[in-house]
Amino acid sequence: MSADYSIETESLGRVYRLRENKKKKGQPHELVALSGINLQVQRGELFGLLGPNGAGKTTLIKILTTLLAPSSGWAKVAGYDVHRETVKVRPLINMVSGGESSGYGLLTVRENLWMFSQFYGMQSAEAYKYIDELLATFGLTDRANTKSADLSTGLRQKMNIIRGFMTGPEVLFLDEPTLGLDVGASRDVRGFVRRWINEDPRRTLLLTTHTMVEADELCDRVAIINRGKVLACDTPAALKHELQQEAIFNLDVSAQNRLEAAHFETLPGVHKVQLTPFDGHSQLQFILAEEAVLSAVVNTLTERDVTILNLTKREPTLEDVFVTLVGRSMAEEEKAGSNGNGH
Amino acid sequence: MNLRSFRTAAWLGWKIESNWTDPFLFAVYSIIKPLAGAAILVVMYSVITKGDFAAPLFPYIYLGNAFYMYVGAVMTGVSWAIIDDREHYRTLKYMYVAPIRIPLYLIGRAVARFLTGSFSVLITIVFGALFLHVPIEAAQVDWLLFSVSLLMGVVLLALMGLTLAGVTLLLARHSDYLGDAVAGGLYLFSGAVFPLDVLPAWLRPIGYAMPITYWLELLRRSLVGSVAQAFPTLANLSNGQLLAILGGMIALAAVVAVITFRWCDHQARERGYIDRTTNY
Amino acid sequence: METAIRKNTGWRLFIQTILGRAYPRVVGMSREKSWLFFDIFLPMLSVSAYVFVYRAIGAPEEYIGFVVVGGAMTAFWMNILWSMSSQLYWEKETGNLALYIMSPTNLMAVLLGSLAFKVQYALGSFWQLLLVFFLAMTALYGMGMMTASLFLLLSREAWHIANLAQEPIYLVAGFYFPIKSFNFWVAAAASIIPLTLGLDAMRQLVFPSGPALGFLNVRVEIFILSGLAVLFITAARILLRKMERLAIREGRLTESRR
Repeated sequence: MSADYSIETESLGRVYRLRENKKKKGQPHELVALSGINLQVQRGELFGLLGPNGAGKTTLIKILTTLLAPSSGWAKVAGYDVHRETVKVRPLINMVSGGESSGYGLLTVRENLWMFSQFYGMQSAEAYKYIDELLATFGLTDRANTKSADLSTGLRQKMNIIRGFMTGPEVLFLDEPTLGLDVGASRDVRGFVRRWINEDPRRTLLLTTHTMVEADELCDRVAIINRGKVLACDTPAALKHELQQEAIFNLDVSAQNRLEAAHFETLPGVHKVQLTPFDGHSQLQFILAEEAVLSAVVNTLTERDVTILNLTKREPTLEDVFVTLVGRSMAEEEKAGSNGNGH
Repeated sequence: MNLRSFRTAAWLGWKIESNWTDPFLFAVYSIIKPLAGAAILVVMYSVITKGDFAAPLFPYIYLGNAFYMYVGAVMTGVSWAIIDDREHYRTLKYMYVAPIRIPLYLIGRAVARFLTGSFSVLITIVFGALFLHVPIEAAQVDWLLFSVSLLMGVVLLALMGLTLAGVTLLLARHSDYLGDAVAGGLYLFSGAVFPLDVLPAWLRPIGYAMPITYWLELLRRSLVGSVAQAFPTLANLSNGQLLAILGGMIALAAVVAVITFRWCDHQARERGYIDRTTNY
Repeated sequence: METAIRKNTGWRLFIQTILGRAYPRVVGMSREKSWLFFDIFLPMLSVSAYVFVYRAIGAPEEYIGFVVVGGAMTAFWMNILWSMSSQLYWEKETGNLALYIMSPTNLMAVLLGSLAFKVQYALGSFWQLLLVFFLAMTALYGMGMMTASLFLLLSREAWHIANLAQEPIYLVAGFYFPIKSFNFWVAAAASIIPLTLGLDAMRQLVFPSGPALGFLNVRVEIFILSGLAVLFITAARILLRKMERLAIREGRLTESRR
């Protein structure tokens, strides 16, 4: 058995069979949600899956939490095969999906949580103690006896997050935990996640996100995933380090003249350019081979009579990593890859 | 651990079942609904027979109908939890991730329906005994046979419910009242409200193959011994033989339930149905 | 004249709603054939049980026809009841309701039932039959809309009430026996449900012995049904408007059911 991996997958793939559409013959009847996923997450790691919507993150979580059978390859969680040894895996894990309001609306927050603690075999008194602690941590104490139907979506999601941590899982899966939460609540959740993982080296946490900051600030390691494939996997620092030699600039320019990204793409040394029009000005983001290329960019702008309003050199982000890997930003990829599976 | 999750599931089922803002309405509901159902048969019977409630056929129909209420209640109770958790509460996936035995959880969820069902059955029978001359006398009742039969029936219905729950896992459609629909369909073949002899000969084998037929016969015999004797269909079988047949069929139902549920469960995970919602 | 034009637009919109709502259902149904089994086959079996009850107690053959017709009508009632209570957002559902009423499954059930039990029909007046059916359905539709608006207010309780009403309605509306069997005042009170008189009149029109077992004269029943249709449709319109305003003010439109 492979050392101390909490999560391990090899050549993991998942294909969804689609219903045949009689009107559109020739359309594919299969949707490849995941293919050839090889991951090794170590015990004690906070591991992030970063990718746009529809990249296959949720499908991967569903397989790892025993809800979905893989089409190919295998996956182990806490040392057990998630498909064949579900009974051994389930006591050791828990899962929370963000952005949905699940739960029994007719039960109070405390009742909802207590109920799940019972399904994990916890003693009631102990469970209540822990539940109350977590309710306090997440600022839900005064809502403990409110029926969960009367909670806002955000609070309901917090309740769900507590449900995930409450059962003391060895491996916890959080699928977009901060989706739909406001800035403050997201920060609280991120803070708690980090503390939880630091508290006990035996814990492992896998979270999916499409927020760069979340992946960057929170995770020990990040796998960038797109269209069902892992494109890169390393610490955020290492991923960004790849871009360290390159120079990244943000330019705000006046928008009197029509600008197109294509004007710059042909310049030697321009790795990637992105143009975002705003009201009254446009923003250009460049990833350049080296700083010296900037002069060519500035020349092009001058030739076109464009005024530079602002120019900043910035540190590379994971978004830049994604852009270099995929060729476009995550938002663009979401728009383009409308083969989104919603799973 | 298993007991704890079963108890908790039963608690949840009860919370959902009794989720009425007005308990009075809940009581009215559990009384009016079954009585109105029985009244349809009573009116039909009295119109045609000019109110001959003394004939053995009347208690036959009345008791068969009363106990048949368990069929819908338990079968729906077990299978409905799948739809309820998946579509309404969106918690089915969390139940699946939890280290519980799903069949046990589902049966736990049905306990509440069983209890309210028992109340309905009781009310109906008491009403029949008091006002419609259904000849039940406490001293004449074979309580042991009654308890054993009732218990076996509950086990049987839970197993049938589990089979249905498996099928429900794979059904895309919002089949809200699957349990009741199936119970309604089987009503015809269970000798519940008419002796199997009345069925056309080619349909009778289905009736003989139905465990509910023997269960209802046992209940009638235990409560009103004389009534059962008036109908030749199963009269040549002793109580012991009926119990043996029912026991064998329960064993068979258990095998079917386990195989069906496992297969459907496996299929549901293959196809990714555990957490899908239909929203038609 | 102005009102006539407005009404016209309303109907066109209405038809569009029906078609719009019908589409996903039809597509859904053709994809998954299991509804044939659960929506037609199983209910037919349970209605058949009542036929055999009549056989067991030695009822005259015409009662079997009564059950077949009554059983098919229960489907209409069920559809109204459930579609009204299961979805609070009535606006979306009004199209569905009409769809349910026009659903051919009920007619299929009558046909199959009649064949299976060799029911003998003797059609009195086709036009009267059509009129009775149309009036009963219109009134039922109005009643459905009316209950929808009540459900809008009752929200959580609506589901229970709909479920509660089922058997009592089957009983008093005479789905399985002629309501003449009740005493006059009970039958008269039950006539407030459009299906009661609709069913009674239809039975009188299609069965040889129907008129003898009928509650009132068919012409009288047609007259009352017309009144009910106008009454329920008008009441539904007023109530829906009122309730919608009230519901929006009290924020019940978005309240989750459970």
